[in-house]
Amino acid sequence: MKLYDIKGLKKWLKNPWSYLTGAVLLSIFQTITFAVTGEPLGITRAFTNWAGWILGFLGASPGTWYYFNMEEVHSSFSAGLLMDNSSIRVIGIIIGACLASLLASEFRIRKIKSKKQIVGAVLGGILMGYGSRVANGCNIGAFYGGIASLSLSGWIFGIFLFLGAVIGSILLVRYLI
Amino acid sequence: MKNQFPFGLILLGVLIAIGAYFYSISLLTSFLWFTGIIFGFILQKSRFCFTASMRDLYLTRRATVFKALLVALALTTLGITTIKYFYFLNGQTIPRKSFVLPVSLATAIGGFLFGIVMVIAGGCASGTLMRVGEGHLMQAVTLVFIIIGSALGSHDYGFWYKNFISKGKTIFLPDQFGWLGALILQLALLFILFKLASYWENRGDEE
Repeated sequence: MKLYDIKGLKKWLKNPWSYLTGAVLLSIFQTITFAVTGEPLGITRAFTNWAGWILGFLGASPGTWYYFNMEEVHSSFSAGLLMDNSSIRVIGIIIGACLASLLASEFRIRKIKSKKQIVGAVLGGILMGYGSRVANGCNIGAFYGGIASLSLSGWIFGIFLFLGAVIGSILLVRYLI
Repeated sequence: MKNQFPFGLILLGVLIAIGAYFYSISLLTSFLWFTGIIFGFILQKSRFCFTASMRDLYLTRRATVFKALLVALALTTLGITTIKYFYFLNGQTIPRKSFVLPVSLATAIGGFLFGIVMVIAGGCASGTLMRVGEGHLMQAVTLVFIIIGSALGSHDYGFWYKNFISKGKTIFLPDQFGWLGALILQLALLFILFKLASYWENRGDEE
């Protein structure tokens, strides 16, 4: 493709980057994020807000739950989608990935291929959502953010994350492949 | 592969316009919007995946992603700690509330559950977002169920908080080892893990 022959365009927009490049860039932007917002990046807060809004829409009253009344959650939950900063950032992440794939001409709707994978997605999704709430974060927040914040919780989460990944790998090979 | 670059440019224009709108709300809102986009961009291009880092290390004895993860942890620690230290020197309250969390059974169970499941589901939280952006319908399903799981988790959070989290100890390493001590300890630990991962990978190659 002629366009991608332009120097620089090929290297930065078409070709994939190395993991190391990713690591360095992520670190730079995590540091900038911390400098501006006072905390590392987190994404599970957005998920719980979305869940809460949908439930509210369906008639439940999550506003009475302990979680949504916690000081750090309440303000963003009450603010609604357009005013919730964490949600805006998470949507940005999805669109950023979309942008990257479009600029590399790699965007493709990839359909679901096997029923077994759907089981993995359903079960996996529910437990990931649950586990991340119980631990107050996911791989990005509790693990990456926690360790980078020099918190023991990050390390403990990380150790158990790894143990879980080992078990998950064994299960993956035995049942899903 | 048809050329999607023009669409990418159009999307970029739309995103900048949306960012300008957010800027009219507040600087912070537009900052979060653009950093989110940048994060998603970096994740997609580098295929940085926490799931792959651990799964590959165990299943195929490939340590490439794991080692990159360790580098990211080390560099981010350095960056964030430097900023925190400046707050400390100026006598201001250190921003550290979010992910300096109590260590309790909830941490362990949450982590363990997340670990099993991120491998089975084929991606962690950030990986899922990234793949949704690329067009994977499977991860869109995963995302829907992550939200459902988050709903269940939020519902039960009170239970976990009262019985486990509130009883946990929050340990901020510099409180125990001092700023320099904690930094050196953590970087040393990451370095040791890096070396161990290389060794593990090489041993696998030899067999």
